[in-house]
Amino acid sequence: MSNKDIAHHITHYRNVFVYLLIGTAVTVAASYLEFNVKDSIAGAVFVGLTIATIKGYLVAANFMHLNSEKKMIYWILMLTIFFLVLLLSIPLLWDLNNLAYN
Amino acid sequence: MEIPYNVELREDTGLYNSKLGIWLFLASEIMLFGGLFSAYILLRTGAPVWPPIGEHGSIIHLLKDTIPHATFNTVILILSSVTMVMAWVSLKQKDLNKYKLYLGTTIVCAIIFLVVKYFEYSHKIHEGFVPAHDTYMALYFTLTGLHGLHIIGGIIVLAYLWGPGISMWNSEPERFTNRIEVAGLYWHFVDLVWIFLFPILYLLN
Amino acid sequence: MSDSHHEESFWRKYIFSTDHKIIGLQYGITALIFLFFGFSLMMVMRWQLAYPDTAVPIVGGLVKWLADLNGFASDGNLPADLYNVFGAMHGTIMIFLGVVPIIVGAFGNYLVPLQIGAPDMAFPKLNMASYWVYFVGGVIMLISFFLPGGAANSGWTSYPPLSDIATTGQTYWLIGMVFLITSSLLGSMNIIVTIVQLRAEGMTWMRLPFFVWSQLVTSFLLVLAFPPLEAAGIFQLMDRVFGTSFFLPSGLVIGGEALKVSGGGSPLLWQHLFWFLAHPEVYVLILPGMGILAEVIANNTRKPIWGYKSLVYSATFLGFMSFLVWAHHMFLTGMGQGMSVFFQTTTMIISVPSVIILTCFMLSLWGGSIRFTTPMLFALGWMPMFGIGGLTGLPLGLSTPDIHLHDTYYVIGHFHYVVAPGTIFAIFAGIYYWFPKMTGKMLNETLGKIHFYFSFIFMNGIFWPMLIQGLAGVSRRLSDGGASYAHAQEFLHWNVVMSYSAWLLAIAQIPFIYNLIKTLLADKDSNPDPNPWNATTVEWTDTTSPPLGHGNFEKAPVVHRGPYEYSVPGESTDFTPQTQN
Repeated sequence: MSNKDIAHHITHYRNVFVYLLIGTAVTVAASYLEFNVKDSIAGAVFVGLTIATIKGYLVAANFMHLNSEKKMIYWILMLTIFFLVLLLSIPLLWDLNNLAYN
Repeated sequence: MEIPYNVELREDTGLYNSKLGIWLFLASEIMLFGGLFSAYILLRTGAPVWPPIGEHGSIIHLLKDTIPHATFNTVILILSSVTMVMAWVSLKQKDLNKYKLYLGTTIVCAIIFLVVKYFEYSHKIHEGFVPAHDTYMALYFTLTGLHGLHIIGGIIVLAYLWGPGISMWNSEPERFTNRIEVAGLYWHFVDLVWIFLFPILYLLN
Repeated sequence: MSDSHHEESFWRKYIFSTDHKIIGLQYGITALIFLFFGFSLMMVMRWQLAYPDTAVPIVGGLVKWLADLNGFASDGNLPADLYNVFGAMHGTIMIFLGVVPIIVGAFGNYLVPLQIGAPDMAFPKLNMASYWVYFVGGVIMLISFFLPGGAANSGWTSYPPLSDIATTGQTYWLIGMVFLITSSLLGSMNIIVTIVQLRAEGMTWMRLPFFVWSQLVTSFLLVLAFPPLEAAGIFQLMDRVFGTSFFLPSGLVIGGEALKVSGGGSPLLWQHLFWFLAHPEVYVLILPGMGILAEVIANNTRKPIWGYKSLVYSATFLGFMSFLVWAHHMFLTGMGQGMSVFFQTTTMIISVPSVIILTCFMLSLWGGSIRFTTPMLFALGWMPMFGIGGLTGLPLGLSTPDIHLHDTYYVIGHFHYVVAPGTIFAIFAGIYYWFPKMTGKMLNETLGKIHFYFSFIFMNGIFWPMLIQGLAGVSRRLSDGGASYAHAQEFLHWNVVMSYSAWLLAIAQIPFIYNLIKTLLADKDSNPDPNPWNATTVEWTDTTSPPLGHGNFEKAPVVHRGPYEYSVPGESTDFTPQTQN
């Protein structure tokens, strides 16, 4: 990596840091607002998780260099995320469970 | 025979060994925290009231009081992620002193995080909100506790790389730089988990 | 001869070695001891099942001593509480301390670097750590036998609420599992990086021996499937040690008293997290065995394995699908139609790649010049056994017949057909096949054949009657073998048949153990044949027997052809090494 490259990277990291701080402030502020739709906190959950996902993406793509990673790493991560979604959908299966008794 | 591709990149994959290794480790960690989050979703959606009301009432008020602490911790951890990547950049620039400064800051941030955590825990426990109190507290302590253990593990590794491990810089500087990159990946992941834990545990109630 | 390496101490060379071959042997020896121990537990259980509440012969004194230590009443018989301990630990030990460490830790570690032409695993120190973490996990599991209340006794599946309130042994089980899971994760990461990064020049993906493919897929399963069980284990530890209610529902009453916990938890949460691992785990058990068999079959038919690409794609698809079927273990938990339709469909789909693999092996026999060596006999015996195992799985994978068969002896019969003759025959085939590579000596063929034929007969003697009893509705995990149930009376005599088959199976292992010891103690040839089977793969053709220490090869092998080039037309010999130009 040339010195110019490195300088560019450093500026970039600083910018990402600022975005992350802003994101944190927004998350906290948003939690005090009422997003409730019909007594459900689904709205608040959606907003909170979306901001968290954006922040997570910023960390992963920039600090973890995923923006410029090799294909093999992408494949492993895609596979993992697929199974992660599967794992997280276990609670959803519970609902399907209950639907059967209508 | 030496083991190849510890430093030089293998042509067809474009990777050095420990980078692939750490990403596989992180894949398993994603599944571990995934299991934890999955339990959270399940127990929460099954609960009539969240956080549940137990012997000492609901944690909600105490929790709201600790949002500033948790926010501070979030910022500290994000900062430590920045200083971590800057430590790696410093090695790329062959500046060992800057490396030590940035890595040292990372470790200090991590310790501060744990200290704040300690106060959070003891405050809650003092008020009777122990893990056995209700399922929210159980999840809170288990999720942040396991995350905390990962921070401690990270501190130990980073301290080694800051201290005795630094001797590799003299003999194999590129391999040492790779070690910092790989340690950094682990550290960013720990930060990433917290970025999700923070809203889920503290804010979405 | 100049020695550029410093002389290593005994400890560094044999105990804390970072050489994958030594580590592989460490795993192998430790795992074989655990397999023997797990088998012994079952032999005592089979006495109780055949002759309930009578004193166990020969080891009755030992059983009484252990029962007393655990606080159970016994006069040499196996009391019900101790039966439950033995049952839970038999399963746990066989799977996690026996089979997986031997097929991945021993065979995988030893052979993968050799077969791909690498000097060692990618992370030798991590490899050493994996073995010792496994060892510690095993010790913890063994220690738990001596606790008051005995070792874990809630089945290898540790379902809450029972496991949450079980005796201290369960906590040790959980801690032991954390160690074993850690060992497994470290080991499988090492294998994946080794296979991806350290293949020799010319060793392209489609020139890999199927054994290496099977290890690759297995390692991915271990990396991705184990962590949810670790999470569940942590939750159960929290429940047991810190009084949380992750798995304890509200309003639980035990022994007439309401349990003083917060409640709000879910026993089904454990089942989902457990089976999310435990189903891929069964493919972890069988895939490396299939890998071993591909090597043995190709070598002993003197022709390429039929359908190499089909095997590779099937193994990969199998690995992927294995994550999508777990709830077929939970058909009777009250799930709705949506879930059960989904899971029985995926379960039916997953039988396809297994059948393809079995078919490829069978088709490989067609037109082959079959050498009936001991490894080949085990491979041939494996085929119908795995077939029975697979076929008996079908009514279990369909939710409707499963209503009748769930938690009966039919299930035990099914899974033992796939893991006992299934994995163990593959392991034996591998041991007889690679023993000359590891030691420079051949095991005795006559003893091997005796070992095979009697093992084959008695395996069937144990597990076929289980299918009969299960269809009749005899439940599993009954310490009296069904004696107190009217519907089981007609089928109780099978218990005696199965028990004698088990004890005779144990005796049938004596030729094998004697063979091992005798051959190990015998003098080695001054110049052992590095390739006595005339095989094509790199571990046979490019290094000595045993392989050279510190790097395996004089110079890095260069691969020019596929792994099963047997009987190539126009060649002077009936095998063409992978590294031959």
